[in-house]
Amino acid sequence: MSSRFFEFFCPVKVIAGKAALEHLPWEMQGLSVKRPMIVTDKGIHQAGLLEPVLAACREGGVQIAAIFDDVPPDSSTSVVREIATLYRDKHCDAIIALGGGSAIDTGKAANILVSMGGDDLEQYSGAGILKHPLRPFFVIPTTAGTGSEVTSVAVISDEQRGVKLPFTSSFLLPDAAIIDPRMTLTLPPHITAATAMDALTHATEAFIGLAKNPLSDAYATAAIQKIGQWLLPVMNDPKNEEGRLELALASTMAGIAFSNSMVGLVHALGHATGAKCHLPHGVCMSLYLPYALEYNLEYIREPLGELLLHLEGPERYAQTPTEQRAESCIAAIRALRDQLHQRCGLPRTLEETGQVEFSQLEAIAQLALDDGAILFSPQEVSFEDAHALVCRAWS
Amino acid sequence: MEIRPFQTLTLRARRFYVGAMFQVMGRALQAMTEVDGEACRETRQLPPGFLFEMRVLPSGPVMVVEHTKDGRLRFLGTDAPRPINLSIQFKHMVHAFRVVSFQEKTAIAFANERMLVDGDIAYAVRMTRVLNRLETFILPRFLAVRAVKQYPRSLGFVEKTAGAARIYLRVLRNLIGNERPYE
Ligand SMILES: [Fe+2]
Repeated sequence: MSSRFFEFFCPVKVIAGKAALEHLPWEMQGLSVKRPMIVTDKGIHQAGLLEPVLAACREGGVQIAAIFDDVPPDSSTSVVREIATLYRDKHCDAIIALGGGSAIDTGKAANILVSMGGDDLEQYSGAGILKHPLRPFFVIPTTAGTGSEVTSVAVISDEQRGVKLPFTSSFLLPDAAIIDPRMTLTLPPHITAATAMDALTHATEAFIGLAKNPLSDAYATAAIQKIGQWLLPVMNDPKNEEGRLELALASTMAGIAFSNSMVGLVHALGHATGAKCHLPHGVCMSLYLPYALEYNLEYIREPLGELLLHLEGPERYAQTPTEQRAESCIAAIRALRDQLHQRCGLPRTLEETGQVEFSQLEAIAQLALDDGAILFSPQEVSFEDAHALVCRAWS
Repeated sequence: MEIRPFQTLTLRARRFYVGAMFQVMGRALQAMTEVDGEACRETRQLPPGFLFEMRVLPSGPVMVVEHTKDGRLRFLGTDAPRPINLSIQFKHMVHAFRVVSFQEKTAIAFANERMLVDGDIAYAVRMTRVLNRLETFILPRFLAVRAVKQYPRSLGFVEKTAGAARIYLRVLRNLIGNERPYE
């Protein structure tokens, strides 16, 4: 399955570890930024995560010129327009996105408008439309899962037309991603678990998919190793700063991996389920991961067996006969899900979520067939296959 | 430096082959949706009047297909009467050649970023499955397994040979030009 050709691209400067936030002013000065704007959401503000950023900038000699703290969970073109207006009114010259996937996507989209001009976001939708670099852009992720700080994609819904607008361009990548353990320290247990499962899925799908390559493999395996080692310790001791940083790094590394080798069937099913039932993305990933791996098993036996080493460590790997490693890896993922269920009630079946009706499964399978990620599933997926799979994930 | 003639000949042959394969595929797509219910199940989801093209950048061969209605596709040649809804663009002639000479599977070519999609990705995914189905139908099995991810389990020998014969016949008749696309 190893591909004899690949592309790999990640020009994002990653600034990670203790006091990483305090590097932000220096980075901005390096790009002649004088009036940055922060784009974030109310939850972040209330969780007290804005304060350390403001303090770091103030003390570093950069004054924040504007703050927009009203990004909704599912961001829209009107929100992006509002941000662009504020940016222009306050004569800002850079954007700092602070938050999870939605805040980061919104920051990327706002940066398109303020750099390219105009108020019509739709004209920039699609792949390869942007032809030159955008204004300075920084990302401070506050969840450890999406990997959006290293992906060249943003999705914004156009509420008037009822469609989701995709934007793809390497110019959407930030100038720097700041990974500071303070930002994820207060993440509630169920979000910690769900977002970590999203990162685990990114790394796993990157490693078993059709577009895997040696460079993304390196990031994927390192991310899986960190999640295997640190997720349960952090669930047991949420204030474990070292573990928090390791999980945040794992998420960034998994993001680098999948943005260079794509995701697969788990994401196709997860996107469809999220759209139909409004379940959080990370929860969907956790629900489908073992079943999608089982579905592809005979096509991914070798790489999946190798993942056992990274997930469970060398001892367990060495004790497991080669021909059982792939199954053991799936069993380890199931065991991890059981542990997370015990600790924070993370659902393991669609039924356990309480938000999905059995009658919706057909529509979910149908919608998954339209998802781009399904192209990268090693085994071809028909409607019947997808339907059988979601039925297995039901209970 | 002088360009040696056999090189330009190779380039021209490659261009000719890709152009010819686009013609064959375009006609075969049309024929397939006239006989194959499974393919229609996919194409029926496309809006009526939907225009699909495959082209080679920057100025290589083009193939334009229209979804008329009820899953039926119609091969329009190289010119589109309206703006295209979905375009699959090979970045280079060599990439197109490798795909249409079945040296690289369509899905792998996507994975390797040999081509770009301009348009709704959901339709691109659907058209990829239709192209896969086409390849399993019109190619001998040993070639088809190289072209698609998996040879469909449900495609029995009788179904395949009967289907392939009917598609070939229709392609042939279309190529000769004495059959109207829709009777
Ligand atoms: Fe994800």
